[in-house]
Amino acid sequence: MGLFDFVKQALPNARRLSLAPRARGELFGEDFQKKLETLAIVSRRVFSGRHRADRRTKKKGSGVEFADHRDYTAGDDFRFVDWGAYQRFGKLLVRLYEEEEDLSIYFILDCSRSMAFGTGEKFDQARRLCAALAYVGLANLDRVTIVGVGDELATRLPATRGKGQIFKVFRFLNELKAERGTDLAEGLKTFVAQHKRRGLAVLISDLYDPKGFEKGINVLRYNKFEPYVLHMVEPGDANPDLKGDVRIYDCETGDEREVTITDELLERMRGAFAEYQTEVERFCVKNQVAYFPADSRTPFDELVLRVFRRGGFLR
Amino acid sequence: MILSGLSLTTLLGIFGAMAAATLAFYILRLRRRAVSVPFSPIWQRVLKDKEATHWFSQLKRWLSLLLQLLIVLLLVFALGDPRLSDKWFEGRNIVVLVDTSASMAASDVQPSRIEVGKKQLTDLVNSLSGTDRMLIAEMGAAPRAVSTMTSDTAELTRASQSIRTKDTRADFERGIRFALDSLRGLPKAEIVVISDGAAHQGDELSARFLGDPALEHVTLRQLPVGSGGKNVAVTAFSVRRYPLDKSRYEVLLEVTNFQPEAAVVEITLIGDGETVDVTRLSLEPNERMPRSYHDLSGASRTLEARVALVGSEPVQPGVEPGAPVVVDQLSKDDSGYALMPERRRVRVLLVTAGNRYIEAALLLDEYLDVTVITPSDALPRAEFDVSILDGVAPELRASHGARLYLNPPPGVPLAHKSPQPILDFGFDSWDRKSPFLRWAAMGNVQVAKGFAFKPETADHVEGESDQGPILVSGKRDGQRFLATGFDPRDSDFVLRVGWPLFLLNAINTFASEDTSYISSYRTGEVWNVPVPSGLNQVSLRTPSGLEETVPVKDGNAVYFGEYAGFYELRGPGGEVLSAFAANLIDAEESQLKPAEELVVGHKTAEKVTVSSTGVRLEVWLYLLLAACAISAIEWFTYHRRVTV
Repeated sequence: MGLFDFVKQALPNARRLSLAPRARGELFGEDFQKKLETLAIVSRRVFSGRHRADRRTKKKGSGVEFADHRDYTAGDDFRFVDWGAYQRFGKLLVRLYEEEEDLSIYFILDCSRSMAFGTGEKFDQARRLCAALAYVGLANLDRVTIVGVGDELATRLPATRGKGQIFKVFRFLNELKAERGTDLAEGLKTFVAQHKRRGLAVLISDLYDPKGFEKGINVLRYNKFEPYVLHMVEPGDANPDLKGDVRIYDCETGDEREVTITDELLERMRGAFAEYQTEVERFCVKNQVAYFPADSRTPFDELVLRVFRRGGFLR
Repeated sequence: MILSGLSLTTLLGIFGAMAAATLAFYILRLRRRAVSVPFSPIWQRVLKDKEATHWFSQLKRWLSLLLQLLIVLLLVFALGDPRLSDKWFEGRNIVVLVDTSASMAASDVQPSRIEVGKKQLTDLVNSLSGTDRMLIAEMGAAPRAVSTMTSDTAELTRASQSIRTKDTRADFERGIRFALDSLRGLPKAEIVVISDGAAHQGDELSARFLGDPALEHVTLRQLPVGSGGKNVAVTAFSVRRYPLDKSRYEVLLEVTNFQPEAAVVEITLIGDGETVDVTRLSLEPNERMPRSYHDLSGASRTLEARVALVGSEPVQPGVEPGAPVVVDQLSKDDSGYALMPERRRVRVLLVTAGNRYIEAALLLDEYLDVTVITPSDALPRAEFDVSILDGVAPELRASHGARLYLNPPPGVPLAHKSPQPILDFGFDSWDRKSPFLRWAAMGNVQVAKGFAFKPETADHVEGESDQGPILVSGKRDGQRFLATGFDPRDSDFVLRVGWPLFLLNAINTFASEDTSYISSYRTGEVWNVPVPSGLNQVSLRTPSGLEETVPVKDGNAVYFGEYAGFYELRGPGGEVLSAFAANLIDAEESQLKPAEELVVGHKTAEKVTVSSTGVRLEVWLYLLLAACAISAIEWFTYHRRVTV
C-alpha cells in the first residue's frame, strides 16, 4: 500500500474521529426523545404544589366563579352590573369573576463558564433536565419560557405551548453557550422586569455566584415568582485531579492564587464544597424555596423520575 | 586548612556563577503551572487558614534556597581540594620498599609476584588518609626512590605503575637503611616491605640492625607475596677460548634444580644467534649439576645458554608434539650470557740477531703476525702491538707498541743494580698473580748469568732473586714494558713448558687479550669496563636497545648494571669500543620459596592488614557526601512540601 492509499484510508477514520466527541445534535437524540415521551406520560404535571396548571388566578376576568364587586365606571359591560346590589344599596356595582388562565413556567438556565467547566457534563445535564421539564410542561399546555442567564440576561425562548414546540426548545438549548460570568441577581433583575406575568421560576444553576447565590434567588422571591432551585452538582469540582505546586485561577473572574495541593488540602476542599451545598439547601429551606440537588453523573431520566418525584417536584 | 586544588579567587568566581545559575533555576522552579478552577471563592475559604502561616511559608522558601546555595558552596569548596593542616591532624610517614629482585618476576601467583605486589601497593595508596605521606622505592641491588614523600595519590599511583623487576637480587640492608634515612626525624614513621622475602639475608640481616636506634621509632610491616613454585636455573656460566687455538672454546655451565622433585631440563647453547648444542639432562631434587663443553666451535663472539624445564604435562594447544613444555615459573634465571674475547691477529716485532727459542715459541700461536728484523735493520714504520727486543734496546716509536726486553743493555729501560753480572741464581720470589707468569712455574728455573735491575718507584717487580729484581714491568713514555735481567738462553727456562706460556702471556697481556678476560659481569654490581684512554664518557647500548651515557673514570666505564644480556660500549663517533655480557647467576635468587618472616634487628615485621591500612581522610570526599546529603534533605522536604 502506498502512502497515498494509506492517507485515503486513514482520512475517513480521522474525520470520524474528529466528530467522535459528542456532537451537539446528540444532546437531544432519539433516545432522549423517547425518554421524554415516557416522562410526559408518567409525570402528568410539573409542580404538584398548591396550584394546578388550569387553575384560577387572582386576576379578575371572564371566569365563572364570582370573585368581588367594584364600582361601575363608564365603558364597563352592562351585562356584568349586579342589579340585585343596585336594588339593595342603590349603587352600580360591577360583578367580578376569577379568570382561569394557563400556568407560566420559566426555566432560568445558568450560562456561566463554570457550568461548562471540565468536560461540560454539568451544562449538558442542565440542558437535558431543562428540556425534559419543559416537555412535561408543554405537554400539559403550560406556557414555557426559557432564559439563559449569566452576568446578565443572555437570551430567551419566548413563551411557547404545546408538545409540538419541543423541537424549538431543543434548538434553543442547543444554541446556548456557557461563556459568561455569573451575576444571578443582575441577570434575574432583568428577567423579572421583562416578564410581568408571574409564575414558576425554575433556576437551573451551579450557583457559583461570586456575589452570593442568595441575591439571585431573593430577586425571584421578592418579585412574586415561585422559585424552584435545581442545584447542578459536579463531583469533579470538589475533587480536582491536581497535585503539587499550582497557580489556580477562577474560570470566570480570573482571580489567581498560588497554592500547593496536598492530600490534606483536597480533603478540606471536599468538605468546603459539601458545606457550600448544605449552605444553599439551608437557605432554600429557610425561605421555603424548593431545592433539588442534581448530580451531573446521575442519568437525567432517573433524576426526573426518581429524585424529582421523591422531592415532590413532579407528581 | 590548605587549598591544594583551585585557588580561592577561582573558587569564588565559580561559586558566584553557580549561585547565580542556582538562583535562576530556583526562580524557574517556583513558577507554577496555571490551573483553572470553577469557583475560586471556595478555594479562598480553604486557603484562608494558610494565610496565617504566610510569613512562615516565605521563610521556608528562603530556607530551600539557602539549602541549595549551601550545596553549591560545598561542591565548589570540594573543587579546592582542601587539606587539613598538619597542625590539626598528624598523619603517618610511610616508606614502601617494593622488592624488584629477579625472583619477583616469578609466576607462581598470577600474573606475577611483582604485579600482585603492585596491586597491594595500589590498595595501600588508596587507603592513605588525607594527611598521610608516602614514599615508594624500588628495592633491588640498590634502593631507588620512584616517588617523593607525598600525599598525592595520583603521583603515588603513577610511581607504583612504573615499578619493574630487575635481574638482580634485593639488598634488604641497603633498602631498609635507605628507608630509615628517609624517615629520620619524621613522626609516625612506618616501613612497609612488599617482598617475596627470597634471598634476603635472614639472621645476618637481623644481626646488622641490632641496637640500631633509628629502628626504635619505626613501625615495620610486611606485605608478603608468592607461594613457591617450580624452577631450574643457570647458576654458573663461563666460556674461554683455547689459548693456542682461538677458533675453539670450552664452556662451563652449571644448572640447578630448585624443586623437591626430579626434573628434566633441556640446555641449548646458542653461539652468534645460531644453535650450537642441545642437551637434555635429568636432575635429582635440589641437585646442582656442573657441566663442561669441550672443543666447541661455531661461534666467534656471543654465547648464550638457555635452560628449559621440560614438564610432564600433556602437550598444550598450539605446541608441536615433541617440543618441550616449559613449566618453569621464573624465566629470568634460565639464561646465561658470555662474550668471548675478540679473535684477531696480534702484530709482533721481533728484533733479534737470531733466537730459535723465541721464534719457535711464537710459532705456537697461529694468531700472531710476527715480523723479524736484526738489530742492524731499520725499524719498520708499521704499527705493532708488541715489540720483543732480544738483547738490544733500540729507540722505538709509540707505534711499536709495548716492549718485551730480554736481557737489555744497562739504562734502557732499567739501570743495572751493579755493573757486575750475577751468577747462578733463580726466582726466589715472584708475583703469582701476575698475568705475565700465569700457568708458569718459575721456582725451578735456573739461570747461569744475568743482571739485577734497579727499578724505579712506579715499576713493579714481577720476579726477584736473592740478589735483586730480575723481572720488572712498568711504563716508559706511555708504553708498557716487561724486562728480564738475563738472556733466556743462559738459563733452563727456554727448555721448560713455562717459556712459551711466558711469551704468550706477555703478548696477550700487552695486546689486551689476556687470559684474565672477563667473559661476563654479574648484575647488581658496579662494572668497571676498560675503555681506551682519553675519553671522559662513552655510550652504552643495553640489552633492551636503550642508549645510555656512561662516565669514564681511570680508564674504565663505570656502570651499575641491573639487567642480564649483551652490552656494547660505543665511542663519541658511534664506533664500537668493546662489548661485554652480564648475568644474574644467583642461586639464592633462584630459590622461589618465600621467606616466612622478615626480622630486622629485634623487630619482626607485622603483616599489613585492612585495619592497619587506615581510612582515607580526603576532605573533598566528605564535602561531596555532605552536599549529597543536603541535596537529599532538600529534595525530601521539597516533595514533602516542607520547604514550599
